[in-house]
Amino acid sequence: MNKLNKLGYVVLIGCLSFAFVACDDDSDKHTLLKNDCLKWTAGPNIAGLDIEFAYAMALPYNTGKIVSAQAEASIAGADGTWMEHNSYYTTASGQMDIPVLVGNPSATNGKTTTVDFVVDTCAATLRYYYKIPEAAKGQSVSFTFSTTASTGEKVSYNMGPYTISKMDMALDLSLSRANCYISIEDMAVYNAQQAAEIPEKIDLVYNFLNLSSTGIEFGHAFAAPAAGPDFLPTGFPENLHKNAKIRKGSVMDAHLARLHLSGKLQPEVYVDDIDLQTIDLANMPNYALNIITDGGLWVETQDGKYRAFIYANNMRTIVGGTISMKRYTMK
Amino acid sequence: MKIYYKHTLMLLFLPLLWIGCYDDLPIDEDGLLITERAECYVSRFELLGVDYNTVRAGGKDAVIDTLACTIDIEVKWATDLKNLYPQFTLAQDCKLDPKITGITDFSDLANPKKYTVISGNRNVKKTYTVNIKIQER
Repeated sequence: MNKLNKLGYVVLIGCLSFAFVACDDDSDKHTLLKNDCLKWTAGPNIAGLDIEFAYAMALPYNTGKIVSAQAEASIAGADGTWMEHNSYYTTASGQMDIPVLVGNPSATNGKTTTVDFVVDTCAATLRYYYKIPEAAKGQSVSFTFSTTASTGEKVSYNMGPYTISKMDMALDLSLSRANCYISIEDMAVYNAQQAAEIPEKIDLVYNFLNLSSTGIEFGHAFAAPAAGPDFLPTGFPENLHKNAKIRKGSVMDAHLARLHLSGKLQPEVYVDDIDLQTIDLANMPNYALNIITDGGLWVETQDGKYRAFIYANNMRTIVGGTISMKRYTMK
Repeated sequence: MKIYYKHTLMLLFLPLLWIGCYDDLPIDEDGLLITERAECYVSRFELLGVDYNTVRAGGKDAVIDTLACTIDIEVKWATDLKNLYPQFTLAQDCKLDPKITGITDFSDLANPKKYTVISGNRNVKKTYTVNIKIQER
């Protein structure tokens, strides 16, 4: 190995490093104004929920001030889309989210949300909440964040695309001895009289029996109307007839469980579209017994049109409880 | 530069020292070692539902008769017998035939499922019958 070969080797390594440098996005490299963005929300993007971002912008001290910040979505957000006009910081002692007012309340016009700054500041981080519209289901949405400084400079930052889920969600449906007829199609709970009027929509029936003295674990049960009298409550309307496939299985879905609201640790676990598309429900029975708090069940309606994941938020020691549901339309 | 080549070659050959010390037991068609052990029995049996919780009634363990080669287990009332995960604990080095690959249908109570335990030396085979009784309401 002579000096020439060594030199060639060094040149080769040097050229390789340029290959990476060449891929760097340097759109705002030569401006004083800089910006960056984080997506805060995790999990599937479901219509009605927010996608939350933190958009940061800054320029060197004494070189100018920030004039405005803007977020533009590729699909207009639903009512409730907004950008905070407060910037937040954390104190040295670790106190989180101290607000500092920097601008006028945001104005949303179609796809664009803008905050005009009213204070002389060279740095801010604004939070942007995009309320996912029904119209975006099954599509992708992208965002362009931009900011303008008093120096005339303008920089932007692209986020996305993010796929919007086809799922629907219903939270905190209350179950009782009277209100025990569940429609996946309506994502609602009915009483016997209401259920008898819409038999084609009733997919599940909730029942509670305490058979612990006999050693039978029945407890809180969910069964299709076609499951038979062993599983159904007294007073069951005779014209209910639909069948379903039901699979027990617990997922502490963060959208449905919201354990953090009661001071518990909420795992960042989500039921997503693909889970409902691929869960194996072939040959599953039409009932599930002994569903407890934090338990769950996967359901497919008789016609295969809907699949749902039902989470048991709170099942009491006596009859009654609260459930939440994610539903996916299969066809 | 020759020194680099020498060092590289030495590093490549070093692993061979360990490989050379390996005791070469025969391997069966499943890639499992064939040992000298002749023990052949089931020491524990479990049935799980699709939620991976046991379906045994009242927490009673399965009764395993290693002479009659039977496993008797009582499952909870209304257990879905079509969708169960069996779990066998076997004597050391044994294997099971057929293999457990996922959800298993135990619903044909008239024809109970049979599983053959094969010893570590692959010379002893015992076929166990899994008898399921459903808890009465």
